Amino acid sequence: MLSADEAADLIEAIASRQDRGAFADLFRHFVPRVKAFVMRGGTDSETAQEVAQEALIIVWRKAASFDRTRASAATWIFTIARNKRIDLLRRSGRPIDTEDWLVVYAPEEEDADKSVLAGQTYTRVKELLGGLSADQLVVIQKAFFEDKTHTVIAEELKLPLGTVKSRIRLALGRLREALERDES
Amino acid sequence: MSRHPAPEELLLDYAAGALPEGLALAVGLHVALDPEARRTVDRLNALGGALIEREPEAGLDEDALERTLARLDKIAVEPPQAPFVPRPGFEWAPPALARYLGPNPRWRRVLGGFEEMRLAMHGDSHRVSLLRLMPGRGLPVHRHAGTEHTVVLQGGYTDSTGNFGVGDFTFGPDSEHEPIADAGEPCIALIVLEQPIVLTGPIGRWLNPLVRRDWI
Repeated sequence: MLSADEAADLIEAIASRQDRGAFADLFRHFVPRVKAFVMRGGTDSETAQEVAQEALIIVWRKAASFDRTRASAATWIFTIARNKRIDLLRRSGRPIDTEDWLVVYAPEEEDADKSVLAGQTYTRVKELLGGLSADQLVVIQKAFFEDKTHTVIAEELKLPLGTVKSRIRLALGRLREALERDES
Repeated sequence: MSRHPAPEELLLDYAAGALPEGLALAVGLHVALDPEARRTVDRLNALGGALIEREPEAGLDEDALERTLARLDKIAVEPPQAPFVPRPGFEWAPPALARYLGPNPRWRRVLGGFEEMRLAMHGDSHRVSLLRLMPGRGLPVHRHAGTEHTVVLQGGYTDSTGNFGVGDFTFGPDSEHEPIADAGEPCIALIVLEQPIVLTGPIGRWLNPLVRRDWI
């Protein structure tokens, strides 16, 4: 296992000295997990492997733009992998958005004071996930990993759309309340 | 906090990458302009990262690692991202939008005091446009056959539902509305339309065949 600090150290080692050993450690840790994430969306194993590898190549190229005070390594890699997967779906002709992952982390002066907290958010979110009920977690996991809108999730879980929305609100609300308590 | 924030479910769909391109652009601009929405998306991304860490290791292919390491010889570690420099005359366009403007963006006059710039999407059936309304001018009264999403990028407008300023996000199949630009700078907004709008004013309704054919 890699801790959040260790993973961030590895990315910084790539940025400062093109450290291939650091890249290999990140690759070993994240490629299998990102691959599993992409396969949850119904992508075949070979393509999922390609997405995961290409995401790590972007980690190599953009390592110097990584800012550990703004996001954890896992968060950053999540956004990269998500967008890689979107690119892939777009190539296959499915109407889906892509966004420049850097935009999400473009430093904004107006909330610079809050950005320091963003790096800590990850650790707290990880703890809070443990506090969600099983069905709240299922809705959130489906939303994230299966790349579906809430209407589709509602159909799959055989729940009215309103129920899915209220569970998502509950789960997000709980996360937000706990995080805001930390920040104040 | 924005007076008109995007609903949290939409921010989740955005963070999960589940939105069609035009809608993702609208939410992305709201996120760029509204610190509260950005904080929510930061948290949702952190949630995504935490969920990825919960994935079991599916088993690493050591050959794949060797092949990837071999590729790195030809791939440079890039210098840090340069700060975004807005294009002159388009200072109101956040980075996510600037990429859509193309080499020679042009406003097209639609009616008096009302201009449009269509944005090309990749395989998204929404009609995605920038609208520019001169101060005090209004859009023709219209209703929406489908959902309309709006993000204000400069200036502001007022209609029967309220007043909307920079960063505000609204959506809806609404009843008829007739937005009027506030005084000051021209109002610029991104509009993402699911269906062609239907003009309902005494003159506007004669223009509907043109709207349906995408001529205006």
